[in-house]
Amino acid sequence: MLAMLVLLAQSSPADIEAGKATFRIYCSPCHGRNAEGGPRGPDLTLRGERDPAQVIADGVPGSEMRAYRSTFSTDNVERLVAYIRSRERAPEAVAGNAAAGERIFWGKGGCGACHLVGERGKHFGPDLTRIGRARGLANLRESTVNPDADLVGGYRGVSVTTRDGKTIRGRELGYDAFSVRLADSNGAYHSFLRDEVASVAIEKRSLMPAFRGSPSELNDLLAYLSSLKGDSR
Amino acid sequence: MTSILLVALWAQGLFAQDTEWLDYGGGPHARRFSELSEINASNVARLAPKWIYQTGVGGKFETVPLITRGRMFLTGPANHAWALDLLTGRPLWHINPGMPDGINACCGPMNRGFAISGERLFKVTFEGDLIAYDLSTGKPIWKKTLADFKKGYSATGAPLVVKNLVLTGIAGAEFGTRGFVDAYDVATGERKWRFWTVPTYDEPGGKTWPKDFHERGGGSTWVTGTYDPELNLVYWGTGNPGPDMDGDVRPGDNLYTCSVVALDADTGKLKWHFQFTPHDVHDWDAVGDPTLADIVVKGAPVKALLFPNRNGFYYTLDRTNGKLIAAKPFTKVSWATEIKADGKPALVAGQDPSDDGVKSCPGLGGGHNWWATSYSPQSKLHYFGSIDGCQIYFKTEQPFVEGAWYQASTTAAIPAEPSTASLVAVDPVTAETKWRVELAKAPSGGVLSTAGGLVFYGDQDGWLAAYDAKSGKVLWRFQTGGQIAAPPVSYRFRGKQYLALVAGGAVIAFGLP
Repeated sequence: MLAMLVLLAQSSPADIEAGKATFRIYCSPCHGRNAEGGPRGPDLTLRGERDPAQVIADGVPGSEMRAYRSTFSTDNVERLVAYIRSRERAPEAVAGNAAAGERIFWGKGGCGACHLVGERGKHFGPDLTRIGRARGLANLRESTVNPDADLVGGYRGVSVTTRDGKTIRGRELGYDAFSVRLADSNGAYHSFLRDEVASVAIEKRSLMPAFRGSPSELNDLLAYLSSLKGDSR
Repeated sequence: MTSILLVALWAQGLFAQDTEWLDYGGGPHARRFSELSEINASNVARLAPKWIYQTGVGGKFETVPLITRGRMFLTGPANHAWALDLLTGRPLWHINPGMPDGINACCGPMNRGFAISGERLFKVTFEGDLIAYDLSTGKPIWKKTLADFKKGYSATGAPLVVKNLVLTGIAGAEFGTRGFVDAYDVATGERKWRFWTVPTYDEPGGKTWPKDFHERGGGSTWVTGTYDPELNLVYWGTGNPGPDMDGDVRPGDNLYTCSVVALDADTGKLKWHFQFTPHDVHDWDAVGDPTLADIVVKGAPVKALLFPNRNGFYYTLDRTNGKLIAAKPFTKVSWATEIKADGKPALVAGQDPSDDGVKSCPGLGGGHNWWATSYSPQSKLHYFGSIDGCQIYFKTEQPFVEGAWYQASTTAAIPAEPSTASLVAVDPVTAETKWRVELAKAPSGGVLSTAGGLVFYGDQDGWLAAYDAKSGKVLWRFQTGGQIAAPPVSYRFRGKQYLALVAGGAVIAFGLP
């Protein structure tokens, strides 16, 4: 805590600006341009329990956040932290009812047919076990009503039409100049050489349908998603 | 008489003599064109690996193996290098001196290969040394430090031997450095000349910068240049100005960044320059080794220099004087409507990066990046890889700190408009694209063309494929099992034509059954 106070006392607007420049280059690809969360990284504007300087230096084992100890000097880490601290804000209030949202998720929303939460559901779309930590409310809302806006890497759709006219659509597991591999929504695995099929098309849109519930149902669902912090339930 | 002589030569086996591959560009014109035609469209479908050598070293191999005297000489990432037996692929020697800690570089400890002169090999280290080695033993003979890596310099390119000199460039334009081309005496390692790509304020070209900016102006020279023995000129591509995205702090054209410079091979004096992207703010290095071709334009022979650029335009220049012959986009371009007759781009307003981001095409990687290209005098086409798409470019004010990343922001992909990629064949006479094959991902390797009417190209997924040089039709493919990040080379050994390259960390020699 003392270290934190010292750090805050030392960070000048120039430090914050320098930290922002570094952030834009190294961190924004995952954490978003303004640290509000991005394709792969959590929203950093909501203060977490961990010391950001330590997370930057050591990474987060088991996640895509690697250690940056050898990349940044201590000064640069301090500038990064100064910038992240300058972006902090109060968490957005969640208007809905998480329990009602949970029922929608596993019931009429059909979300569990493709998403995992803990042990439950299916791993066709992204695993949502920790999504409340990884994403801010705005990003969750956008991804729910407009799934095409922020496609998560590794979940691209692909459809293959065979020479006998069958179409197989699913999640791309591999795609290159001469072959394609995919899993269909039943989890079945398919592999093709491209010159042995009629056509292969990468889908530009998400495989996920947009949520079509009422505004209050949407709020309930978002409340449930925000509550998913990876804790044992 | 001629036929008798031919029969006599044939009887002596001279037609089947072994051939070599002696430099990064595959000959003094950097065409990567093999005169060999034993492997051709009629039999390439039967091409198969003859041997594989597993280096056991990870990382990206951008090396072009050199072939001579029954051996193969290649470099690897992180200062590794090997000599292999050409018959079996078995190792003869291995260099692994390690690397110092704390090297700041944009893109990993790559190396693109050796240069050779007599019994000596030359290569750079990632930390910025040029070392001469004994070809037979791999023992170092002399070592010169090009620049201080603590200031952000590094070195990755294959050196270029020109007569009794060995030339090399330097990397580091993302770190506020100053680019140069150096020439060292092959025998002694003594530096004979240095050409700075960013002049001081009082030198010619210096007024295209603010005062006292040259020490951090960028203009790195990280890809090998090309030598024309007839004109005694060395051509070298130069990198981006620094800081990359914030041009406000460096008003002016920023010579000689994003250019090709023609230097007198003996003195390093500038003969002419051509700047592709004046005052670049998109990191569009003029990288790639300039390819030299002798073409016919409107009935007249022209000594041409070919340069597919990161900025999305293909340029054909007169290599005697640097004048533009033709320029056309080979991919989606939004920053200029055309290249005017005087070589200057007709700029589109509002394409510079901003704090909120500006969409511009091509993306930061190009266009055509450093990936080695090939010109076939047989098909008269120039082959190269391209990324086709746009990115959002951001600008951030960034204070200069010596040795630190100095890019002044970055780019972002546009999720709704993913970039595509292609292998392109351009006619240098008109700069028009003659064929285009869609690739699955951004190029990573390079191209080789052969007198067998073939174009070989390897990709980041490990596929090596042969294309018909005239049409782009796929004639053969092989999954090598590792990323291909350099062009193949071709040679004749004991009467048979081979193709060799590194895929992942494995060296593979291909031949016919």
